[in-house]
Amino acid sequence: MTERKLSIALAGNANVGKSVIFNHLTGLHQHIGNWPGKTVEKAEGTLHFKGYTIDIIDLPGIYSLSTFSIEELISREYIAVERPDLVINVVDASVLERNLFFTLQLMELETPMIMALNQIDMAKSKGIEISIEKLEHILGIPVIPTVAIKGVGVYDLLEKAVEMIEKAADVKSSGVKYGNEIERRIGIISDMVSKASYKYPPRYTAIQLLQGDEEIEREARKIDPEIVSAADKLAKEIEEIHVQPCSTVITSERYEIAGRIARKVQSITTPMKPTLRENLHDITTHRIFGYPIMLAVVLSIFFAVFTFGNHLSEMLGEFFMGWQPIFENVFGAGITGELIWGGVMEGIIAGITIALPYIAPFYLILYFLEDSGYLSRIAFLMDNLMHKIGLHGKAFIPAMLGYGCNVPACLGCRIMETERERLLADFVITLVPCAARTVIILGLVGAFIGIQWALVLYVFDLLVIFALGRIAFKAIPGEPTALIMEMSDYRIPHLRTVAKQTWFRLEEFVKIAFPLIVVGSVAVKLIEILGILEPIGNILSPITVTWLGLPAITGIALIFGVLRKELTLIMLATLLGTTDFAKVLTPVQMVVFTLVTMFYIPCIATIAALVKEFGWKKALFITAFEMIFAISLGGVALRILTLTTHF
Amino acid sequence: MEKRASEELEVPLTALRDGQIGKVTSIKTGHGRGRGRGWGFEKRLNDMGLTPGTRVTVVKSAPFHGPLEILVRGSRLALGRGIAERIYVEMER
Repeated sequence: MTERKLSIALAGNANVGKSVIFNHLTGLHQHIGNWPGKTVEKAEGTLHFKGYTIDIIDLPGIYSLSTFSIEELISREYIAVERPDLVINVVDASVLERNLFFTLQLMELETPMIMALNQIDMAKSKGIEISIEKLEHILGIPVIPTVAIKGVGVYDLLEKAVEMIEKAADVKSSGVKYGNEIERRIGIISDMVSKASYKYPPRYTAIQLLQGDEEIEREARKIDPEIVSAADKLAKEIEEIHVQPCSTVITSERYEIAGRIARKVQSITTPMKPTLRENLHDITTHRIFGYPIMLAVVLSIFFAVFTFGNHLSEMLGEFFMGWQPIFENVFGAGITGELIWGGVMEGIIAGITIALPYIAPFYLILYFLEDSGYLSRIAFLMDNLMHKIGLHGKAFIPAMLGYGCNVPACLGCRIMETERERLLADFVITLVPCAARTVIILGLVGAFIGIQWALVLYVFDLLVIFALGRIAFKAIPGEPTALIMEMSDYRIPHLRTVAKQTWFRLEEFVKIAFPLIVVGSVAVKLIEILGILEPIGNILSPITVTWLGLPAITGIALIFGVLRKELTLIMLATLLGTTDFAKVLTPVQMVVFTLVTMFYIPCIATIAALVKEFGWKKALFITAFEMIFAISLGGVALRILTLTTHF
Repeated sequence: MEKRASEELEVPLTALRDGQIGKVTSIKTGHGRGRGRGWGFEKRLNDMGLTPGTRVTVVKSAPFHGPLEILVRGSRLALGRGIAERIYVEMER
């Protein structure tokens, strides 16, 4: 007997526990990639159940299907074009009305579906009781109550899903009946539409055309331009009746119905006293206490990650260095041996000693906080400040990631709504001192001049981020978007989901960064073997010696720093023949060197991430800009510092 | 006369004090470039539940003219001040 293949898509709002259900269903058989040609994440997994191989797709969390964002477009296209056997609409029972608004739109896509009414425990604690029977009856689809985080109801959900597919029940869910004046016009257009074959069902196409959906208008124009002008005319008529944009009218009516259904099926008893999660929300978003709490949380994360990371990084480094003799035995100490050890292996080691000790724990903690709901509170508190550089509160989260490593931070900017914002945020992030730069700041300035000077550099970095961010914001055309963000209730994170997300981020880092680190590392090794390091150092001397007032060999150190920033310090020690930098560098030279290293180029892995997100042109532009900026800054700093300070 | 009075009560969401409730009357998308960015905002706000006639509770705002925390249709939203200023409501007393 051959196994039958089925496909099921999970669809719903953000933060409703979709990915937790996805994890319960698919376990370890998951694959996270990107939607073809898009920067949106695609989570796919398989499971075997009752002789079926079931493909599960976790669609992005969205609030609507009307193409405000790429996520919405991807979702509805997947449902309409790929036609999964079933859609499971995951719904947050504690915010039923808004979730039903999305359910009604899914129904308009005329796809077979069932509902997972999730977080019923949370709804209960808010005093909301929902009658499943009534909801099933009104919607005409099966509704399965679940508490995904505890795994409750997930098996029933799967069983029901397969049962539905086997029955192959002809779903003609009409969804919403709008007002007569709208229904009549929907009818006219859907009659016109049904003569040709469209991507979406005729009724849905008609409704979207009335709302001025750009994607569907484009498609309709190709098939029959008259439909678009007819829809435009009819939409104007509706606008005249209601004195409101047609899309607002339709959205309002849909929400009216969602609200009516919600009121019919739920009974609410307001709890006597506020729950713990409400108190927690109030204090963490408090206009005074919110900030010290945030500062304490952020600082303790940094402290924990860097203390732990430092130890682990050293241990790993020592462990791998122990392999060197083995490699030399196998490959000999000749050019091949040197290229393999000094190039390939050291590149890989460099990648591992940054990914495991710093990135993994950092991500783990941040995903934990995100899943709990705290990051959206931070975004709320920081929105105002981020606006000054043309971003909104949500960008603060990847920016924080940048302190660990710029690479995942740049990729993390996908949470921003527009490409312009992603570019702005990524640019700002490349200026954030990552773990590797922290090693230099603390190891050179902090250790040899004083920790207060290291702190000055951090503060200065913040000022630079702010200033350059603001300039970039003014320079890049386009309007800033505003923060429109749900702050869903605090909840206990699902550890397995958090761990998986961390794992996939690590995987992504390895895929993007490792190849370039290794290639770059081999290239630099080759230059070294060919004996042209010193000539290059000399070529750079007008910059390093004349302009920056540094020893000529620092040019070589800076070249190595492209691979990985803390290599500049390691190389400096090797080239100068000492780790006691106070003997060979003046305090001013140390500050200048550190300043330049902080800004002079995003490391090669970050450049790779930028290329992946925006293409070569923009990535190289950012790189070139930062080189010029850092060198100029270093020279200016040298002159100011020699004039004003006497360390 | 009466109509006038109700018009005078139409204020931007940001004019509400903490804990006050307003009923959405309109969303002014500003630059009036048809279905450009402004249209996207209005649609997005509509989709999040802010349709005309909806009751909105302003919970609080973040300091230094920060974003607003509002309750709408049982969900808690954070709205940037810039966008909140464009949402007009009728104050409920």
